[in-house]
Amino acid sequence: MTGYIVKRIVVAFLTLLLIMCITFLLMNAVPGSPFLTEKSTPEMIARANAKYGLDKPLYVQLFNYIKSYLQGDLGTSLKMQEGTSVSRIIFHQGKFTLSLKLGVYALLLAVIIGIPLGCIAAYNRGKWIDGFLRVMTTVGVAVPTFVLATLLLVTFAVKLQWLPTLSGSLPDAKSYVMPVISLSFYYTCYVAKLTRTSMLDAINQDYIRTARAKGVKTRALILKHALRNSLIPVITYLGPVMAGIITGSFVVESTFSVPGLGKYYVQSVLNRDYPVIMATTVVLSALVIVMNLVVDIAYKIVDPRITLTEKED
Amino acid sequence: MDGKFAKISPFQIDPDKIPALTAEDFAPAGESEKASMVQMHKSISYWRDAWRRFRSNTVSMVALAVFLLCLLFAFVGPSLIPYSYAEQYRASQKLAPFAYSKGEETIRSLEGSCDGFYATALQPGSITALSKGDYYISDRGSTYAFSLTKAVEKSVLILNSKAEEPLILVKETDLQPDGSYKAYEPIAFTESPAEGAARLKLVRSVFPHVFGTDSAGRDIMARTMYGTRVSIIIGVVAALIVLIIGSIYGAISGLAGGAVDFVMMRIVELIYSVPEVLIVLLLQVVLKDPLQQWFDTSPSAFAHAMSDLGAGIVSIFITFALLYWVTMARIVRGQVLQLKKQEYVTAATALGASSGRIIRRHLLPNCVGQLVITTCLQIPSAIFLESFLSFLGLGVSAPMASLGSLCSDALETITLYPYRLVFPGIILTVVVLTLNLVGDGLRDALDPRLKK
Repeated sequence: MTGYIVKRIVVAFLTLLLIMCITFLLMNAVPGSPFLTEKSTPEMIARANAKYGLDKPLYVQLFNYIKSYLQGDLGTSLKMQEGTSVSRIIFHQGKFTLSLKLGVYALLLAVIIGIPLGCIAAYNRGKWIDGFLRVMTTVGVAVPTFVLATLLLVTFAVKLQWLPTLSGSLPDAKSYVMPVISLSFYYTCYVAKLTRTSMLDAINQDYIRTARAKGVKTRALILKHALRNSLIPVITYLGPVMAGIITGSFVVESTFSVPGLGKYYVQSVLNRDYPVIMATTVVLSALVIVMNLVVDIAYKIVDPRITLTEKED
Repeated sequence: MDGKFAKISPFQIDPDKIPALTAEDFAPAGESEKASMVQMHKSISYWRDAWRRFRSNTVSMVALAVFLLCLLFAFVGPSLIPYSYAEQYRASQKLAPFAYSKGEETIRSLEGSCDGFYATALQPGSITALSKGDYYISDRGSTYAFSLTKAVEKSVLILNSKAEEPLILVKETDLQPDGSYKAYEPIAFTESPAEGAARLKLVRSVFPHVFGTDSAGRDIMARTMYGTRVSIIIGVVAALIVLIIGSIYGAISGLAGGAVDFVMMRIVELIYSVPEVLIVLLLQVVLKDPLQQWFDTSPSAFAHAMSDLGAGIVSIFITFALLYWVTMARIVRGQVLQLKKQEYVTAATALGASSGRIIRRHLLPNCVGQLVITTCLQIPSAIFLESFLSFLGLGVSAPMASLGSLCSDALETITLYPYRLVFPGIILTVVVLTLNLVGDGLRDALDPRLKK
């Protein structure tokens, strides 16, 4: 187990390193410079390049990035908030917290609503409630996040005026409702679908029949015996969910005007603010990679049968 | 005999019921009799069998039918309506569904008395392709030409077959509510009608704007049709790219095995753990300028074809080619590894089948189901990604449209014109939903082992 975790952490670091290299290459493949504006002269650009070390050879720049990242220094913004340290922009201006809050709430909602829905559908298999939930979840995974977000916005904020149009930096509980729902809807449906399938698998197993024969009450049967065993595919899915929620947060943040990291990332790419792009990519990737790692280890705890070594094929 | 034993056991033959045998019964069987003994069914091919299973799946069949309707909407629809996705009708901006602009309303009220209607494009300045003062209109095989020496603010052309001169130019202000109008001087035919016809598109007749028009006066239904086409094409091409790269990579890795397999799979794992969306966004921005430059400078036909698609779409394809093939590669590798070890492959080898025959008869047919399923399910995810990018303002650029960019355009005016989002949004959902359902049906039909 320890050996496996160590190995996975090493691989995670390698992946992050690879991501840094890819991002660096991509950033530098764009013609033009972050300092290029209508007013700038070649001398000004050259001076700015020298100031931020952009005149050095590419491999030196890349090496400097890696070195400073290992020291915990994410560099300083070149353009969007010139001179401010990037770690300050990401962590101290509330951007990361906002995105993280949205993501965590969405994830929780997906799990808290999705799993019971799946259980209800599986338990009432073939009845109308199962049919209804199946239609809902099938349609749910086909609705793009931005369509749902915008429809919610029009219905509840513009027409009914129950909820605020601009969520801003999420000052109150009301402003969370729409972003979190639109972010988590797809995953709620997917989790419900997954739970239903694996629950049905579990219900048909011998040990359930044994438990039923023993006289275990239905409720305890579902919660204690069936659910535990049907959670494995759901847990496996949570890694990709985290990555997907980050994707969704780009859309949700721009629809509801939440000044989070997702929105900032898109802006930094469009502005070619190299250190910000690099730092945001690394931070978000690290989040996804860590999440995947946690999921894999949780996997092992839930199902001790799984060996955490390389599979045969 | 005792009544108790009168009943003959099923294993005994009732001697009374044995038919009398004649010499004919011992004659050799004829051709027809032989044929009747041979199995009555033709053997069913893999695809026929799969189709039979697919057909019995009601949900998938309905989904397939709806998807085919979407295809008709996207590919046949544009030729049925007189509007194009890029043309801007200045007088008919911001119309609600089935609403008409003032000019269109006037012409509609005249509908009983005239054969054809031409409007708005006759606004001065809107036809500039020809020499000053000459206008050409092509209709039903003949070309009409007329002159406007004075600028008429808003004019309507009325084609009336009952009148001596079929084409009459009327000022919109001269149209009476009851449909009568004061005609101007008759219009003479041009000497070179062919030239006129070639340069001028037929001016539209009055057709309802089923989905309304946008702020630039473009018909939203025409744009939605076009956008659906673009989205579906992007989805299919991206899925094919993934299919080709993924299956080749996976097959090589699976067949080669050993160190090659190890290294190739570590690469797949690395790419797999990269959060694609971040890189995709970056790629979209990075690729735009170099692609545009390549379009402008390269003389090759390929570059020309690509430039028609636009940098946004091409960079989506490149993104798929770089990042999204890993799942396919994993699936194909898994299949190849599994099939390589199957007994029937060993048996075929033992019977002396060549490796070509083994690949054709045993590996490929067993793999193709998985390939079809994965490719089919890849299409909606590609459509999703494209719409996501277009929504963020990357992806396709105006006047080109995709379902995502239409939704994104609609967002700007969402509070005033919510229906602009609803139509493309619904179609996007329906396309993705039906493709998902068809994919599920295919999975059940092509790979019965997976069926629960």
